[in-house]
Amino acid sequence: MGLDRRAFLGLVAGGAVGTMFTPIPWKFIDDASIWTQNWSWIPRVPKGQIDYVGTSSKLCPACEGLKIMRVAGNPVSAGGNPDHPLSRGGVSALARSEVYMLYSPARIKSPMKRSGKTFAPITWEQALIEMAEKLGAAKGSVAAISGDGTGTVNEVLSALVGKLGSAGCFMMPTEATSAAKGIKLMGGQGQAGYDFENADAVLVLGADLFETWGTSTRNRKAFGATRPAGAKPASTYIYVGPTRNNTASVCDQWIPAGAADFGIVALGIAWHLLKAGATSNAPGFDTFKAVVNGGFGPEDVKRATGIAPDVLAGIAKTLASAKAPLVVTGSPFGQGLGAAPFIAGMSLNMLLGRINKPGGVYMLPELAAVVPGAMSRAALLDGDLPAFLKGVEAGKTPAPKALLVYDANPAYGLPESATMAKALEKIPFKVSFSSFMDETAALCDLVLPNSLPLERYDDVATPYGSGFCIYSLVRPIQKPIHDTKTTGDVLLALARKLSIELKFDNFQQVLKEKVAGLAKASGGFVAKDVMPWQVAAGKPAPALVGGDLWKALETGFAWTMVGQVAQTGMGFASEVVAKAVKAGKAPAVAATLAPYSQLRTGTPATGIPCQDLTTVPDTELVGDTTFVRLNSETAKALGLKKGQTVKLSAAGVDCQAKVHIFESVMTGMVSAPLGFGHTAFDYFSQGKGANYLSLMTVAEEPGSGMSMWIASEVKIA
Amino acid sequence: MEEKRSNSAGGVGGMVLCALIGFVGALVVGWVIFPKLLYSEKTQPIRFSHTVHAQLGIDCEQCHHLGPDGRFAGLPTTESCAECHGEETGETTANGKEIDKFVKDYVKTGVQVPWLVYQYQPDNVFFSHAAHRGFECTKCHLDVAKMDTPPAYYENRLSGYSKNTMKMWECERCHASMGTSNACYVCHK
Repeated sequence: MGLDRRAFLGLVAGGAVGTMFTPIPWKFIDDASIWTQNWSWIPRVPKGQIDYVGTSSKLCPACEGLKIMRVAGNPVSAGGNPDHPLSRGGVSALARSEVYMLYSPARIKSPMKRSGKTFAPITWEQALIEMAEKLGAAKGSVAAISGDGTGTVNEVLSALVGKLGSAGCFMMPTEATSAAKGIKLMGGQGQAGYDFENADAVLVLGADLFETWGTSTRNRKAFGATRPAGAKPASTYIYVGPTRNNTASVCDQWIPAGAADFGIVALGIAWHLLKAGATSNAPGFDTFKAVVNGGFGPEDVKRATGIAPDVLAGIAKTLASAKAPLVVTGSPFGQGLGAAPFIAGMSLNMLLGRINKPGGVYMLPELAAVVPGAMSRAALLDGDLPAFLKGVEAGKTPAPKALLVYDANPAYGLPESATMAKALEKIPFKVSFSSFMDETAALCDLVLPNSLPLERYDDVATPYGSGFCIYSLVRPIQKPIHDTKTTGDVLLALARKLSIELKFDNFQQVLKEKVAGLAKASGGFVAKDVMPWQVAAGKPAPALVGGDLWKALETGFAWTMVGQVAQTGMGFASEVVAKAVKAGKAPAVAATLAPYSQLRTGTPATGIPCQDLTTVPDTELVGDTTFVRLNSETAKALGLKKGQTVKLSAAGVDCQAKVHIFESVMTGMVSAPLGFGHTAFDYFSQGKGANYLSLMTVAEEPGSGMSMWIASEVKIA
Repeated sequence: MEEKRSNSAGGVGGMVLCALIGFVGALVVGWVIFPKLLYSEKTQPIRFSHTVHAQLGIDCEQCHHLGPDGRFAGLPTTESCAECHGEETGETTANGKEIDKFVKDYVKTGVQVPWLVYQYQPDNVFFSHAAHRGFECTKCHLDVAKMDTPPAYYENRLSGYSKNTMKMWECERCHASMGTSNACYVCHK
């Protein structure tokens, strides 16, 4: 019998019916739906044993201790370390990005040498030979810029540059720069440390305490600890500044004042304290008293700042009646403050008797250096980088023959950035040790990528703002993903090639010696069961248990010490204050630029962390345009409307922006976000908005001679 | 016409017969051949004997434990296994040779064993072992403690998952029988 048409149809029909009684159609539909979830571009949740390892954030200036979650040995996320005094379980948006940044498209994947307008990969050996040759030829005229405010690598860098013949070793300007200059001018010793944990009344003059200032994550934790939800606050916080920023919005009181007026406000409060009988034995008190009484009475301050006399008197009363008052002065955007406002703020602390007292300002000793010939942190902070680069650009200062740039991006992160970039172009040989292709690296002749913090050994020594000495280790959690090296190791290898003796063969040895020194320091302990602010408040410091401090630090614990430098000659520096702080009637200015910083847009050295870009609200960035904020009164006076595209002009630079009407900005101020407007990095940073720091004009502060750019007039059209 | 009738008469019977053949054939293909084609059979990289370890009194939780935060640690790492099997035995027994293979290929090279996991859930499923810790492991997993040789791993060629991966209906049925919510968000966050 042949298979005719009917038979065939029967076979097919039978087969079709039979198939319906098998798993084939149902399984196919089910598996096909699962198959669609398995396309190669869909990210996979890593599988494997989960564990947590401790380290410290190096990308974030708040220097939190971190717990890195690993799956099968691979880091997948970063969270705060509850045992670390600078974290207490908290973490910033930037520190949280430490793991994700390992895979940033902006990372430099191997050493590179400039070839025309682009770069060509070279080997590390070739890079060392090239560097040794060029630096050898540039002896006596080598400069360095570091953006690492807490690392021992600065010792290696400064010692190397010193032995090559330094043309200047600079830190990128931060709050620490103004504070160090202020302390120096006051005749003080040590680094100012603020004991927020034990303070019960905090006056914040400008500093964006809970956003980017100093140990911002720790600051938030300290604030929260004294103000538990549902309970009566055990502290009072008052913020004085041009905008009701995140810090001001959680404080008990926001007092609008221009950033250029913090010194006047401080001296105005001093007038009330002096009137109430405050006195001091510190040098210069009588002159200080005369300066304050001579020009900073309530009406003087009102005329200069617009702050009503009763408001000022109220602040003075709050401080005077508190058990542990504290005054913190800083820039609302983390730089450019100048020394005088800092001195004025510290003068209040001195009048209130808050130096080296629990809940006050501790003058913290610097940890001992281990690299021979290294500069101290205080000496590094004494350099004035904007003034140096402006001098080079103008031809007033000889351009160094060679420049080493470590963890810094001066072509973007300084005021008048166009001028700074021009100055950098005048330097014939430049080396960047950046991990990312930033604006400065793009100008350099050699780019030698530093491994990221999760791939290298590094350290964090007492960041500015910490109320206690602290030391944490940064340790490699995984092997470098790209052909990168720890810059400390590269610098030591370079020193060997140049026959310069720096005592150490590799950077880990440097850190081990540093830690060995800490183990011998009296009063130091590992913060675990007892925290340093508890010791400051009177609890006995636990002994540093014999054993391996290095191992404890590698586990993620921090070495800490509540110690202070006794101040013998710290005075009021009233001659500086008298020259720099004037309570005259403020000149009529249409609009003053009031920048603000935030860690979610990274630092100049990191760019915008890719996953943080999604957290930027559409009142700050839409498409490729950033918004500036003005209140309705200012907008009306300038004839601006909501959403209008405007051009901001200052310092010979134009920046575009859209207008956002925001009543939390004081009248006459134009609040502008920093961290945008990159021309380098990757898709997530490049071309996003404008860099408003380029509009800030650098001026020399009378009395201190220090560069300052706290407030600049801006034209809006 | 004659031929047509003949075809018609014999055709109905033939058609029914063919339909029956097609039906049975489809059943054979669907139930016997299709599963063999759909799954590829794989063996574990190391012939790990759960029996030997169970006989030594080692509980499941000693190697497959929950982390301090309640996360399931999954499979032990090479380093964990190396705590007992850090050196080659040199034995000529089947087990000895297998241990030596593990030490040579994984412990000494510092590589994790690419174990084939019988019941990995898709990434869109949030399954908490901590929430199910009251159940016997064998309620959901193969009773490998009684197996000297790990069972074959069958990988679905289309979906990529193991044949033993628990399906959603199985989760739902157990939840329903236990009076536990079957709301989407219980398992899909």
